[in-house]
Amino acid sequence: MSATAGPRRNLFNLQPLDATTPSPLFQRRRVAVGEETGHEANILHLEEDLSATMSLGNAVCQRCNDGFKMDEQIVNSSGLWHTYCFVCAQCFQPFPEGRFFEFEGRKYCEHDFCVLFAPSCGKCGEFISGRVIKAMNASWHPECFRCFCCAKILADEGFVKNQGRALCKDCNAMEKAKGLGKYFCFKCHSIIDGGHLKWKGEAYHPYHFNCHSCGIELKEDAREKDGELYCLRCHDKMGIPICGACRRPIEERVVHALGKTWHVEHFVCAKCEKPFLGTRHYEKKGLAYCEIHYHQLFGNICFVCNNIINGDVFSAFNKAWCVNHFACSICDKKMSQKTKFFEFDQKPVCKNCYDKFPGELKKRLKKAYDEAVKAGKI
Amino acid sequence: MASKLKKLVDDSKEGSGTELDLVDKGIVNILEIPGFASLKNLTKLVLAHNKISSVPPNIANFLNLEIIVLFNNIIEELPTTLSSLPKLKILNVGMNRLNSLPRGFGACPMLEVLDVTYNNLSENSLPANFFCLDTLRALYMGDNDFEHLPPEIGRLKNLQVLVLRENDLVELPKDMGELTRLRELHIQGNRLTVLPPEMGNLDLVGTKQVFKADGNPWVTPIADQFQVGISHVFDYIRSDTYKFLYGRHIAARADPPPKSVDKSKKISRIKK
Ligand SMILES: [Zn+2]
Ligand SMILES: [Zn+2]
Ligand SMILES: [Zn+2]
Ligand SMILES: [Zn+2]
Ligand SMILES: [Zn+2]
Ligand SMILES: [Zn+2]
Ligand SMILES: [Zn+2]
Ligand SMILES: [Zn+2]
Repeated sequence: MSATAGPRRNLFNLQPLDATTPSPLFQRRRVAVGEETGHEANILHLEEDLSATMSLGNAVCQRCNDGFKMDEQIVNSSGLWHTYCFVCAQCFQPFPEGRFFEFEGRKYCEHDFCVLFAPSCGKCGEFISGRVIKAMNASWHPECFRCFCCAKILADEGFVKNQGRALCKDCNAMEKAKGLGKYFCFKCHSIIDGGHLKWKGEAYHPYHFNCHSCGIELKEDAREKDGELYCLRCHDKMGIPICGACRRPIEERVVHALGKTWHVEHFVCAKCEKPFLGTRHYEKKGLAYCEIHYHQLFGNICFVCNNIINGDVFSAFNKAWCVNHFACSICDKKMSQKTKFFEFDQKPVCKNCYDKFPGELKKRLKKAYDEAVKAGKI
Repeated sequence: MASKLKKLVDDSKEGSGTELDLVDKGIVNILEIPGFASLKNLTKLVLAHNKISSVPPNIANFLNLEIIVLFNNIIEELPTTLSSLPKLKILNVGMNRLNSLPRGFGACPMLEVLDVTYNNLSENSLPANFFCLDTLRALYMGDNDFEHLPPEIGRLKNLQVLVLRENDLVELPKDMGELTRLRELHIQGNRLTVLPPEMGNLDLVGTKQVFKADGNPWVTPIADQFQVGISHVFDYIRSDTYKFLYGRHIAARADPPPKSVDKSKKISRIKK
């Protein structure tokens, strides 16, 4: 049997993280400590060591090149110094407690050395002595360099650069999944390339689960019922209604309409596709409509008052009128279904009004009418 | 005559007092209708087929007016106060002698149906704010003198009915394509040769829709499509072939066809 789980882990390009980079401060301090004398310079008395340093009479100060007076205190620290010459190259003050730091042949007090040469942390801004994490074009205390998303310390595990942020590899995978519009498996922490399974609010590879009933490894079409997961076949066997729109089982409220069952949010107006959510719907030829669209489509809005017609509907010329408003469009004389009327720009005109039209207009209307008849349009 | 009118007004008052129909009563001056000023609750005023030559500005005092019909009178000008009627929904001033609509008319807040059929209106006689009338669902402008329809027509988003029958239109603006609620369009008897391809957006094909376009000097390819049916016309103007031809046609800037109709006999023209 060959393993199949191996290659998934190599999805990330871990950035090289030079965790061993020491700060310059760290280096110098080591130099100082490395000398037997520790941090403190050795102070000699000339007379005492005369025998030891035979050439002392010719000796000169490392800094000013002058000789030493007899009986003068001399500092011995990689060469001999007047005590007043053995000072910080920056502030010219003696070194507190004799501690100093060397850099390029000069000696500094700790304060000035830090100010001048020590890196400061990209997060907290403090100087870094000891281990320095160099990453993302800055230096960091190991405990300050953390994942942008989950704040995990990254010093030892490494990190991934993601849109200018340092992320741990889990968070990076998650971000990447989000960017691709894909899900990130809550169990194995990798991108879900195929379909995912939602379970208690998290996404998973479906193959992490098995059907509660038959035990088969689940696919993305698995269904939840009463807190358990089932394969589609077992789920269907349990007699769950299927939505007439999306063909998926209905687990919450069921709407019964048009001889079918529906998800509440999938029982919608055939015209505007807004769900009825319990409001009244109107049926026509196997479709359901909201009030506005039913009347708009089936012509039952009065052309005059623009209201939905509840009682009798008078229709003509692709328009509808309520009982109160079916009248001559010119003189407002009420008409009935039997009244003879003329068409003028698709509006009803009673005979009286039509007779009052100027002759030249009647001539034009007649001509248009005759042509329409000839063309078979009427 | 006056006593007869007075009786009609009194009848109206005895009723609800909200509707006054005085059709074909020989009325010359609205202000001379006896007792008219007292009908403060009027919602509907129908004065079709009279001899009215002007509408008094104080019509605006009838704050409840919803419907005004002045069809077939001899009105040459409407008062600017008309647009301040807060509830006016239907205004029918067809078959008059209007050469313009009043300044600020577009401010009518509730106007749904405007009928200015059979007057002497053109694109030059509309007030600047005319196309602010975005509550309009029907606009009747047949038998007028429009040669160009202003592109602002596209702002009348609620328009369901647009009648431009027998004007002098030589072209339609591409903005017509924005009138997506339109289900009735009358453009017959104009001087149109092409349709903007944008009109392909409109849904005017079907048993619930009306599209009348006869009596225009269409270019041959469009005329051919009309022969087979309206749905073919709309399919055709949506095609890339047509978009190309249309672009070339517009670029060529050919002279529009001449006016073919003599309108001097229109009663809207006659001056006494
Ligand atoms: Zn730090
Ligand atoms: Zn993380
Ligand atoms: Zn997984
Ligand atoms: Zn199963
Ligand atoms: Zn559904
Ligand atoms: Zn609807
Ligand atoms: Zn009505
Ligand atoms: Zn009538």
